[in-house]
Amino acid sequence: MSRLEAKKPPLFISEPLAEDVVGQSLSLLSGILKSCYGPTGRLKQLHNGVGGYVCTTSQSSALLGRLSVSQPVVRVLTASVQNHVSRFSDCGLFTAILCCSLVENFKSLNIAPCTVIKISRHLLSLCLDYLKSEACGCRVSVDFSSVETLLGLVRSVLSSKPACMLHKREVDHLAVLILKAFMFTVPCHGETNAALGKCIIVPMKRRRVMNSMVLPGLLIETPEIQWAKPLTVRRTHSDVIKIALFCASMAGDCLFPEEGTVTVHHGISLEMAELNQLLNVGKQLVNDEVGLVVCQKVIHPALKQYLKENRVMTVDRAGLSLMEPLSQMTGSKPIASIHALSPSCYGTLKDVRIESFASKHFVHLIPNDTVVCSLILCNRNETAWDELKRACETAEHVLQLIVKEPLALLGGGCTETHLASYIRHKTCYLPPSSFKGMGCSRTQYQLVADGFCRSLESVASSLNHDDGEVLTDMVYGHCWFVPSGFPSVHNWTDLVSKCGCGINGNAENLSWRLLQGQFGCATLQGCPKEPSVKTADRLTLDSFVAKCSGLQVALETANLILDLSYVVEDQN
Amino acid sequence: LSGPGVEFVVDSEGRYEASQHWITRRTGALMSHLQGNNVRLLLSSVKQEEEVIYYTKLHGISVVECLSEEEIALIQEITGVSPYTPFGDNAYGEISETAAATFCQPLLLGSKRYVHVGFTSVCAFQPHCLILCAPVDGVNEQHAAALEGAFTMLQQLFKTVDQREECKAEAAQKQLVIENISCNQVSECGAHRDETETQIIDPGLQGSENPAYVQTYLGTPSNPISHIKEFSIHFSGDVQKPRAECEHLGNVHENDRSDARAANPKKDSAAVLAARNSSSVTACEHLDAGKDLEKTSCDIVPFKHEDSCVSIAQNCSSSLIEAGSVLPVGGYFEILLHYYIRYYAKQLQQSEVTVVSNVVADALLSIPKSLYRTTEQNSFTKFYLKVINALQKNQPLPMNERGLELVYCKYQLVISVLHCVTELLSIDLILGVKRPLQKNEDCDSEDDF
Repeated sequence: MSRLEAKKPPLFISEPLAEDVVGQSLSLLSGILKSCYGPTGRLKQLHNGVGGYVCTTSQSSALLGRLSVSQPVVRVLTASVQNHVSRFSDCGLFTAILCCSLVENFKSLNIAPCTVIKISRHLLSLCLDYLKSEACGCRVSVDFSSVETLLGLVRSVLSSKPACMLHKREVDHLAVLILKAFMFTVPCHGETNAALGKCIIVPMKRRRVMNSMVLPGLLIETPEIQWAKPLTVRRTHSDVIKIALFCASMAGDCLFPEEGTVTVHHGISLEMAELNQLLNVGKQLVNDEVGLVVCQKVIHPALKQYLKENRVMTVDRAGLSLMEPLSQMTGSKPIASIHALSPSCYGTLKDVRIESFASKHFVHLIPNDTVVCSLILCNRNETAWDELKRACETAEHVLQLIVKEPLALLGGGCTETHLASYIRHKTCYLPPSSFKGMGCSRTQYQLVADGFCRSLESVASSLNHDDGEVLTDMVYGHCWFVPSGFPSVHNWTDLVSKCGCGINGNAENLSWRLLQGQFGCATLQGCPKEPSVKTADRLTLDSFVAKCSGLQVALETANLILDLSYVVEDQN
Repeated sequence: LSGPGVEFVVDSEGRYEASQHWITRRTGALMSHLQGNNVRLLLSSVKQEEEVIYYTKLHGISVVECLSEEEIALIQEITGVSPYTPFGDNAYGEISETAAATFCQPLLLGSKRYVHVGFTSVCAFQPHCLILCAPVDGVNEQHAAALEGAFTMLQQLFKTVDQREECKAEAAQKQLVIENISCNQVSECGAHRDETETQIIDPGLQGSENPAYVQTYLGTPSNPISHIKEFSIHFSGDVQKPRAECEHLGNVHENDRSDARAANPKKDSAAVLAARNSSSVTACEHLDAGKDLEKTSCDIVPFKHEDSCVSIAQNCSSSLIEAGSVLPVGGYFEILLHYYIRYYAKQLQQSEVTVVSNVVADALLSIPKSLYRTTEQNSFTKFYLKVINALQKNQPLPMNERGLELVYCKYQLVISVLHCVTELLSIDLILGVKRPLQKNEDCDSEDDF
């Protein structure tokens, strides 16, 4: 019996952001996420002290979903980032780090929150207008006739997940596989209601990554013993294999209703009756020249034996998740009851094979039209495999988003620094009428804009985990990383070779400044230019849609948090 | 095979098989019957069996399952169709309960999937959807609640407050003549008035049914004081005529209805006249349902002095608040009410009424104060001084273009607040009980005596 406790009164906190506890939680979360960001990020191990599954990850979807946060303010942030990740799969860490950084910077300004919110909304509209304009210097358009940009996108996604433990060759191999799998899912014929197919990931743990491959069609795991080699499957006279797909149970178990009663007289065996019906179904299938029977649940052994004698292949225990892709792939309708067999619900397949990888055996169903494909994903151990699966799903989602909006943004921190220098440049030249409209002064606007730019720059500099310096150049506004171990010299040209995204080399005469330095400098920022060479090899790219949405979500959530004046918490 | 309260008896295997076949065939036949009647979409409140889904797919019928009760009720109301139950022999007859839809498609919003159906409506309501977006779920719920509040407010837009409604509110014994019965009949004829005369209801002549008369406080200490004023802004005329304002001040003595004393009409009329004589009256725009909602202009119309005391008795306003009366947002209602209550309080001789009036007037200012809290430092004081200045000098009020609020809603709000305050002030003891209180319907309680 549980003890009755007096209900605790709700906790009422006013001005939550002024509390130290909240500031500490925010900076703790910010520190955790910043240290995960990027290809050289550090991993986090999520450990339940009682035992069980251990997760080693650096991805926001895994981290934020499993962390238990008690601070209400921080929970608003994590919920918002998780919503963003559920829609776009990418740029979760970017959103979270930017949001934490915005909250910290805006909180430290001595300006009323409502003014800060108005100014930051104006800044966001400036950013988004710039990003959506043609003259945007950090935007790359994706050309579907060449695979380079698409490969670059997939490679950037894969290589930014260090917990997968992939080296360069493996990244390239997997990027090609993922792109191939994506191509399989794109329908060949342009119909009005064309939809992308599905890519099923087949786990293969404890193998080398280079053993991964992509196969058109579906793989269903099966125990080895049943199949005679070579495999001959019955074909119809038009040389296709007819397939019957059952989603009902064919095990001959009698389904008794939940309400009401069923009374069976003595001497009657319902199981025999069911078995007779199953065998009738088998006869029907044989008569209809069906070559393969796939059942979601279990098939009765007697029926299996009967079908085998009549050269009809059976696969059972396929599972619910395969039903939808199977019916999409073969054009068959899953039969819901053994009495409801009708010839119009069969589907067709081009071929059926037995494949074996490692010690697992699969039935490989190859359709006429590859709209479903299987990606056999291998990795060395369980945790690395989980991380790789998430990374592959993210890459696939990024490719799907590209179909809608064929744009990409430069990665490696360059978009953030480019945007920051653009905003710094723009805010020097704003007309006084815009300040009046917002009800703030020019100084207030510039303070908030400075905070905003510093947040963007801190996101870019959190890509650096190795104690070096982070620079930005004064011409293009891109981000340059200096390796550690050199004393702080002012002649940076000797130490930098390429900018973060890879598009700018050190050939020209550029001048740099420290990214996190103090801004006593009176030099006005010129408008950052577009890079001269837009197509270079091995660019680091980010998804345009995901990053724009991340920017927006980060700013709106920061505004929401700054606007909180009371927190009422029910402690029961 | 069986249903609630039904027993299914199997006495031979052949019959068992036949029964199962029959179930399947009947489902199939039903679906082909539906298809024959050109039914393409089924909406179901429960989850259908897999066999049913299979047959619907076979016959090209789409199914949406697990609709909630509210959705079913809404669809019933829009289309006028009641749920279809294919039982018994009418399963193969004409299907009468069908509705037509112009389109039906799946819709992906954010990361959730929806079905988008375009029903053809048989009632005046055209179905449409409003999609709200926000970064977090909680914010969305708040936005949805705010929208519902806005709809409720819009429904009040065409409500009026008649004088007679207030009369009927309280029952008391005094039978003073109510000239305004006739007036109220006049008030029924619609919201527009072409008179340029101002009409004032003299509260003192309302009669005892009207809570709006002054009670002379007889000084019983045990009586808690709650004088509640009714204040209304009356608009008449349309845009072309000069606008007139009618101000009605009255007192309501909420508590001692049984102790209703004789009203003192003279005193009250003096007060009202005094207020009336103030030459600065602010009129606010009468919002006509058909007119442009954006126009906000404010004129000052001095009281017409044609009415004499006699006419007070005979004239009355058509209604306290006419349909569609609005004021600009930002604290105007509160500051105006505050100003007139203060003004009224100054005219009175009784100290208790004055004190209470001043308390109420100052309390009203808390609303605009908190509205201006988030802007710059002393903007409330500036605004307050501007409005009071304008009122005192008969000048037009400083207007803003920010929005409008309904006077009817504000009126109800003030009345509710004053009722609530009265009730709270009348409580003299709060008793704590251990057991949760039961409602009246629970007659049998297992408590031990």
